[in-house]
Formats: sequence, structure tokens, C-alpha cells
Amino acid sequence: MERTTPLKLSRLRSDSSLAATPPPTPGFTGPRRSGRLLTSPGPTKPDDDNPSSLPTPIPSSTKAKRRLSLESPTTDPVTPIRSESKRPKRATVQYKKVLHGDVQFQVGDDIYVKKQGSIESDSEDPDVEECRVCFTPSSKSKVMIECDDCLGGFHLRCLKPPLKKIPEGDWICSFCTDKKDGKEVVWPEPPEGKKIKRTAREKLLSGDLHAACIKSIWRKVDGSYWLRCIWYRTPEETAAGRQPHNLRRELYRTNDYGDVQINSVLRHCYVMNPEEYQRAGDEGDDIFYCEYEYDVNYHNFKRLPDIEDGTCDADYAENDESSDYEGDSDGDSDNDDKSLRGTSSTRSRSKVLAANSRKGRAYWLPKIAESKTQENRKRRKQTNLEKASAALSLASRPTSPPCRNKEMEEIETFVKGAIGGHQCLGRCLYIHGVPGTGKTMSVRAVMRNLKSEVDSGVLRPFCFIETNGMKLSSPNNIYKNIYEQLSGHAVGWKKALHCLNEHFSNGKKLGKKDQKPIVLLIDELDMLVTRNQSVLYNILDWPTRPNSKLIVIGIANTMDLPEHLSPRISSRMGIQRLCFLPYNHEQLAQIILSRLKGIDAFEDNLIELACRKVAASSGDARRALQICQRAAVLAEYRVKQSADAKAKGKSRVCLTDIEGALDEVFKSPHIQRMKMCSKFGKIVLTAMVNELHRTGGEELTFEKLSERVISFCSMHHEAFPGFDTLMRACCLLGDSGIILCEEPKKHMSQKLQLNCSSGSDDVALALKDCSEIPWLSLYL
Amino acid sequence: MEVSEQAAIALRQLRERLCSRTLAHSLLLYSSDNNFSKLKFHISSSISAACSKVLLLRGDKGSGKSAVVELVLKDLKAEHPDSISVVTLYGLLHSDDDISALEEIARQLCVGHKFSFSKTVSLDENKEFLMDMLKEYGLARKTVVFVLDEFHLFTQGKQWLLYTLFDAMETFTSQSIIIIGLSCLEGSEQQLEKRVRSRFSSCTLLFGPPSEEDRIRLLEQLLHLQKDSSLASKYVVEFNSRLDKIFSDKKFKEILSYVTCADGSTNHLLRFLFTASSYMDMESGFLSLQSFERAYSLMKRQPKFASLHDLSVLELYILVCMHRLQCKEETSYNFNSVMKEYKAIQDAHKTSDNYSHAVCLRAFEHLLDRELISFTDTKGRNDSIKFRPVKLLVSSRELDSSLKSNPSCPTILQKLLDHESYM
Repeated sequence: MERTTPLKLSRLRSDSSLAATPPPTPGFTGPRRSGRLLTSPGPTKPDDDNPSSLPTPIPSSTKAKRRLSLESPTTDPVTPIRSESKRPKRATVQYKKVLHGDVQFQVGDDIYVKKQGSIESDSEDPDVEECRVCFTPSSKSKVMIECDDCLGGFHLRCLKPPLKKIPEGDWICSFCTDKKDGKEVVWPEPPEGKKIKRTAREKLLSGDLHAACIKSIWRKVDGSYWLRCIWYRTPEETAAGRQPHNLRRELYRTNDYGDVQINSVLRHCYVMNPEEYQRAGDEGDDIFYCEYEYDVNYHNFKRLPDIEDGTCDADYAENDESSDYEGDSDGDSDNDDKSLRGTSSTRSRSKVLAANSRKGRAYWLPKIAESKTQENRKRRKQTNLEKASAALSLASRPTSPPCRNKEMEEIETFVKGAIGGHQCLGRCLYIHGVPGTGKTMSVRAVMRNLKSEVDSGVLRPFCFIETNGMKLSSPNNIYKNIYEQLSGHAVGWKKALHCLNEHFSNGKKLGKKDQKPIVLLIDELDMLVTRNQSVLYNILDWPTRPNSKLIVIGIANTMDLPEHLSPRISSRMGIQRLCFLPYNHEQLAQIILSRLKGIDAFEDNLIELACRKVAASSGDARRALQICQRAAVLAEYRVKQSADAKAKGKSRVCLTDIEGALDEVFKSPHIQRMKMCSKFGKIVLTAMVNELHRTGGEELTFEKLSERVISFCSMHHEAFPGFDTLMRACCLLGDSGIILCEEPKKHMSQKLQLNCSSGSDDVALALKDCSEIPWLSLYL
Repeated sequence: MEVSEQAAIALRQLRERLCSRTLAHSLLLYSSDNNFSKLKFHISSSISAACSKVLLLRGDKGSGKSAVVELVLKDLKAEHPDSISVVTLYGLLHSDDDISALEEIARQLCVGHKFSFSKTVSLDENKEFLMDMLKEYGLARKTVVFVLDEFHLFTQGKQWLLYTLFDAMETFTSQSIIIIGLSCLEGSEQQLEKRVRSRFSSCTLLFGPPSEEDRIRLLEQLLHLQKDSSLASKYVVEFNSRLDKIFSDKKFKEILSYVTCADGSTNHLLRFLFTASSYMDMESGFLSLQSFERAYSLMKRQPKFASLHDLSVLELYILVCMHRLQCKEETSYNFNSVMKEYKAIQDAHKTSDNYSHAVCLRAFEHLLDRELISFTDTKGRNDSIKFRPVKLLVSSRELDSSLKSNPSCPTILQKLLDHESYM
């Protein structure tokens, strides 16, 4: 029964094979973490375990390296457990798990990483926290409690007055309350010869350690083991700084990677998502809270869907064991407390959150990847046509859009002019152009370029936020969206609006004192137009305020959107505009050819043909790409059907393919449908054209139509099927959209109308040479 | 085995085949260049290349669009187990607002993965869930297929759903999101909002009715009994040879062409065959030409015309009066003007069918209930029936033939109808 060892850390040490599994959760949702029951068996116990193999007591990194290199020939301290040597030829070998010392690290674990070059002031790692009053660690008889403000630990008995049991809810120590009241606080001095030791958690939060999540593990040729990690950051390390809503133990996950050697890894820590954190009761000191991802380039925040694959499963699995663990550890605590814990743990176990709710997502989503993925994907060589269709698909994005240099320059000078000067002034740019002219793509490309300039130190850093009006469920939610990206804190839209107003007008800072300029890109701006236009007004009013440092770039289709809006908005937005003209055929061809570089899939002049067609109608780059891609797919299908082995390799798109693709996009589909009509459908169409031609009108009633059909039938010896069957034929035509008809309830006075652009010509074209009913051509 | 027992088994077999959603359509898939193989090629190529695609299937109602999609997806699921999830949305149910559509997507995705699902989550959460799911699918190299039935109904309103899906297709690279739209309405892509339309690119597949030869082949495959079944081989041979004789009959071909003249779709044909099988002669145990004839007579029934048949003489008088008024080019007439015409006829011809005003009103109301006549406008509901303008819903031809077929119809009525000005 190793499991019953109450101390969290010693548990980890004693069964290190289970170290990878996250802390057991008692499912305790009550007073969070204030009841940290560190009843350790004694301060010497962890060292007794296996002192030589512990990675932590290594005094300095250089020494550690030496020791490792000495040891490596005989006993490799790093033992790969399940090695997945994918390509043995390669110099580096990838691993899923490694055993370093006695501790197992695997992909997906969270770890403490030592800062490079940092002087370890206190060489030994105090993994047992000491009481802030008497400076002895907690023991079985001395239960410790954690202050929710300063995170310091106190023995219950050392407090004044001493507490009998763990209080429910948040608990703040007397020192912190005194500090808040403005009293002078005297922290108890440590006894002679004893330093205040800092735990790893304290070091991390003060910035002397890093936390990271392992993404991959590999061994280099020289035998050293390396890890690739995603860094976590403390709120102090973000651009916004620590904010009032940040929890003490909150960390941000970044999108920043780094490679570290395994020697600089201290030990495990546990970064949890909000739900796990809620459930975690008293797992010791090394747990942290992470809800957001922090973009180190643009300094904005994104809510994380999940943090660690598979963490939750293990949690659920271990729930059962947590009960006997409590039984032992709570031996001397109150009975009330225990029973309360019991009930709450069962409750949380029975309640499994739904996958589509925000909190439950983290638990369920990783399961998709768990079930077998497609590994036997065919590794055959792609043909030219397949390569071409992949390159032409809309999803594949080139790094910079061709043919938009002038516009990009303009955007760049605009943004630079706004943020480059000493005093950043708020500005507003309105970009308009028909769909598919590369508006959003250009802005993004400019932002990438500027980012690289920021990195090289030419430009002052700025923050880039992107929203899309079409993706908001209501215009008001844009406040919520912006505020969440800016501060990493999700609130309701009213609160967000209030906070943003404060931020931009009064200069009340969301973060640190050094405020960066913010570039806000709003795609599909016209979706934000509400009845009283307050959303647009608010957003566009911010840049005009002093000290706002906000630059708004709005993108929409209509040229005169500002003029449609009330004058107070158009005066704020309409000054600086940029128009994206539709591409002409040369530009379209350039775009396509730039994507097809090195792929010989099209016969000559075919691209130009497609581009000219598109340029003549819309100038939409998406459309041109789609047509060429479609032609490639058609050619692929043709080649596959022909089943000619030698043609497969060097087949190209030929004229018929591109014509087929063009037809699909530009040709009216009605004619094909008319040819597929039933017999009476065709007769009805002919009768309609004939009758409309006679009367010269646009529409006719069913009564007139049926008269004509009857006369046709009697003339050509067809049996008239009856009015109701005729009505049915009309309704089918109406369903297929060839004619427009009123509801059949009106019967004789039902109005019918042809639904083609060129009316009777289309019908004539479709039914002229119909083999089934040859006499139709007489009336067309 | 007795004949009637064998007939019952045979009938059950036939009905099973005729009622199957996909069997008839799968029988039509013998040629290499058909919609099935095209659709399968498109989907499987985009699965293997991990690219996204929109496919639009167009064709009349009952031409087998959804059946073919079902068959293709079934095949592909067998080829790529565990890596395809399908979400089916119906335009009639899920197009009216984002909330119901998103909830349905979330529900189907949850059910597909045996996740727990909550109905109470907000629209935003469902939206985020969809995005996270798509991202997760991309990481796991899986394919998600959205089947949008009645696609044209999704192209109305704000089209938020389509925009989201198309935008997701552009954003998530190296992932296959396949959207299959099924639509019977032409030009549904013209209704798309300009931004959505710019992102919309589709391969279109056209579904048509089966050709004449295909139809005959389909009939044979559907109605011929299988040799290796539980039936006596002698009976099976006899049954099939009789069917062949019927198929080659000229009269049968005529019936078939009548059945398909207004609606040539496969489903319509199946409905006809099912009706015919219900008229199977259980005594002899064989399908005969009479069963097809009776099925056809059932199919060609004209409800409007039939409701003209058992009208009373007074009701016929009223209809004829209305027709006369119409011929006199009176644009608007109500009960009172019809009564005036009726009285004029009665005065001129002194027939025995002179009824009081109240009785005529009853007959008039009866005609309204039968929807042989109707009010021209929906306004003025509170006005008395007598003063509301009405119109005739049957043509003069129908009226004429119903007068001829009615034995109790007075000859004067026929004359009045034939010669409008005859007084």
C-alpha cells in the first residue's frame, strides 16, 4: 500500500514509475487549497529514498554534466523506456518516455526548468515547505494551512489564535490582513543558522525558475538527452503584467518553444486547467493554474481548450483510490470535514461535464486523437495533377500575396506612421473591395513583416488583435472578444465594454505601465452595423481619444459603407481609405503561376483562358483558383478512368478539363435540368413558351396553360393525363426551380412564370432536338 | 408447400426490396461513369490528400441523391474505419437559426464519439466546440463530412452556418472537411451572400431519371424472385417467366410510359411497383397484368375531378351559373350575383329545381368546403359569405365532363354550359 503514503511528493518519489500520472484528485470542491494537509513523515524521508539518483541536489549544471558523462559509459542515468526509434539511420532518436535518475519524464508532462546561468543561491531544493512562524516542516501531528494571498504555509497551532480545523472558503493569514489594513508587519525571524528556504513554486513565481511542458524527447549523437518544451509564463512576464483577476498560481501557456537538456530539468510540476484545478484539493505545492495561451509575438491571450492530453482520464481513474488516501491523512482532522469530503467527491464523480460545454471540452476532446488515426496513409508519390490541385486549394496559403505590393506598402506606411512616431496617435483605416481580392491576406502579410521588424528592433513592439464580424454571434460580442484577447480575461460584453472604455479614454492600464500600441483588425465590418450603430461608434471613437494608442483597420466589401452610416461614424472612419480593385487577368495568372511553380500540370494558355473569364466577370482570385483546381481534379478523374498506365505519369490538364470547369461555374445549369425533365414537364415548358410568346406577357395562369397542353395533345395524338397529373408536373418543375409557381391550392388561377435569365431561348436550346417528343421543336 | 404460402413469402421478399432506401439506387450503379463512382472518387481523393471540398448534388426529388450519398459513405467508412464522422443536417429542421443547427452539429459529433452532450450550453460555447472539434480532427488526421440535405434552405437568411464552415475549410490546412449539399432547386448558389459565395466552390453532380433501358433492367432486378431462396424452384421459374411475359407485353409498356410521363424519378416508379405488388393475386400466387393495371388506375386518380362527381343538381346549377358569369367577363362576383343569375335561369326555363335562397346558400357553403370554389381574397373574414367575392377552381372542361357523367343531370344544364348565351 504505497498509495496510502500521505505526502504528495514522497508519493511521487517512492513510485516513480507512476510519476507521470498526475496527482490523484479527491474531487474536493470545497475550500480550495486552504486545506493543504501536508502531513509529511519527516524532513529526511525524501532524501533517504535514493539520494544519488535524485536530479535535484546537483549543485551546478556544469558539475552535473561532468557527472553524467562519467556515468554514461557504465550506467546510463537516462534510460529510455519505450523507445520509438522511427528511423534508426538518423542521428537523433525520438523517445516517448525517459527515466532520468529515478523520475520518469514523458511527452506531455509539465516540468520545472532551471534558468540558464542563474546562481543557485540555496543549492538544496526544499521540497517540503516550512511553516512561516516556527520554520519546521509540517508533520502528521502538525497540519499546515496555506494563505490564499501570500501562499505562505502555517501550522494550525502556530497561528494566533490557533485554528482547530481548516476553515472553509478562502483563508488569509493575519500578516496579509494586517498588511492590507496598513499596519506594519513583522515577519517572524528564522532561528539562528537557518535560512528561509524557497520552494520551487516560490522560485518560479519570482522568476528564478521556468515551467514548461514537454513536447518531444530525443537523444543526440553524443548521447545527451534533449527536450523540446513549450514555456509557461507567469503573469508578471507577460506584456500586460499581473492583473487583478490573475490567481496567485496562474500561469500562461505560450506559443514559444525551446530546447533544453535534461540536466536542467528540476522535477515535475502540475499545470492544470480550470476544472482540474477546481477539483484539486491538496496535492502539495507544485500545482498551477492555466486557462489562457499567451501569444509572445502579438501579446494577446487566447482561451485554451485543453492543456494536457489524457490528464483527465487518469484523474478519473484515480478517483477511487483517493478515498482511502484521505482516510489515512485525515486521521486526526475533524470528522465533519471528512464526511463533507466524502460526499463532495462522490458528487463530482457522478457529474461528468458535457463535451460541448466550455469546461467539459478539455476532458472529452483529446479522445478523438486517442482512437486510431489514419496511419496507413498511402505514401505513394503524388502525381503532378494532385500536386497542382493541392497547391491551388484555398487552404494552402502562400507567404506573401503577389500583385498587392502597392496596397501592402500603403498599409505598412499607415501602421508605421501610426505606431512609429514618438507619440502614438489613434487612427483608422477603412479597406474595401469585392470578395476575393486579398484584403485580409494583405493585412496579415503586412503584420508579419512588421513583426519581423519588431524582432530586429527597428520598430517599437505593438499588439495585434484580429476579429471577424461574421464569426460573432451578435455585434456586441466584439467587446468581449477584444477584451479577452487583450487581457486574457473573459467577461460579459457589458463589463468588457466598460473596461475597454476605461482603458482607452482614461488611460487606465490593463497591464504594465508601459502600454503598447494596439492594432485592431476587424474583418467584415458591415456585420457590426446595428440599428443605432452604437457598436461601430464605440469602436471608432476609441482611436480619437488621447492616449488610446489604438489603430483600427476595418475591412468590408462596399465602397460607401461610411456614407451609409450616420455622419458621426463616417466622420471618424471615412478619412483614410484603401481600395482593393478586382484583379485583372494578368494578375490572376501571376497568382496562379506563382502557386504552380515547379509543377507542370497545365497545358499552355489554359490558365490565361480561365483567368480572362474570371477577370471579365468578377476578378475574384478565389474563383480563378477554384476553376483551375477543379480542372486539375477533372483531369485526374479522366486519367483515372482511362486506366492507361503510361499516361498516368505525365498527364496534364487539357482544354476539355478547363472548359468543363468553366462550364460548371459560369454556365446556367437550367439547360441540363430541362433535358432531364419528365415527358410532360417538357410539354409544359414548350406550352408555356408558346403561350407566353403569343400573349407577350411574363406570366400565365394554369388554366391557360392546360388549354394549350390539351390542344398540343390532341394534335399529336398524346393521351392527356388529366389536370391533376399536369398540376403535379408543374409543381415538380417549380421545385426544381425551372419555373416559378404559386402554391397549387389556387388550382386554375395558379400563376406560372419561367425562371431563366433568357427565358424562352433556354427552353428552345434545351428541347430543340429532343428524341423522345420530336414534335416539340415545331413550337419553339 | 401450398401456393398461397409461397405467394406470401414471395410478396414479403418483393416488398422488402421495394421499400429499401438504397437497394434500387444501388442496382442502378453498374456503369463506370456514374454519380456513385464520381462522388466516391471526389471524397476518397480529398481524404487521402487531406484537402477540403464542397460537393453539390442536384437533381429532382426522388432521384436518389441521398441514397447515393449513403452508399458512398458506407463504402468509405468500411475502407477507412474510425476516421470519418458524418454530420447530417436537414434544411427544413435546421436552417431557420444558428442555434438549432449548431446544437445539432454538437449533438451528432458528441454521439458519434460517445461523448456526453448538454442541451443547455450557450450558442457561443457550441460554436467554440465546433471549432475545437475541427482543430482536433485536423490534428488526428480525420475527416468530417457534413451532409446538408435541402441545401437551398441553408442559403437563406444570414447564412452564418455556411460562412463558418467555408471559412473553417480555408483556415484549417491539412485537414479534410467535406460538405455535401443536396438540393433539388436550381440556382441555390445564386442566393448565397456575396462573401459566402466567394468562398463557395463546388463540384456539382447532376442526378437525372433513369433511362428507358435502365428502367426495364431495374424492374427485372427488383421483381424477379431469387432462385436460391426458400421458395420452390418450380414456382420461382414460373413466377419469373410470367413476369417476363408481362414486361414484353405492349400494354404493360404503355402503362409504364403513362406512369413515368409526369414524374420519371426512381422513387415514383418504386411507389407504383409497391402498389402493384399489393394487387398480387394470392390465389394463383403470381403477378399479373391486372395488378399493374389496377395499380395504375389508382395512381392516375384525379382528386379534383372526382370531387365533382357526386354533386347535387343544385350545386351543379351554381357551378354552371358561376361559369356563365365568368364567360360574361364579369371580373368579380359573389353569392348574390350568382343567385341573380340562378333566378334568371329559373325564370326563363321554369325548371323543377327552383330552390329557396337559404337552400342555395347551404349548397354554396358546401362547394366552398369542397374547395371547388374559393374566395378571391383572404381579407374581410368577418363579412358575410354572401358578399365576399368568389372564383371558380375548376375548368370548363372538367365541369363539362362531370355533367356528362352525372346521370341525374338535367339536359338543360348541359345546354346552358355549352351555349353560354343561351337563355
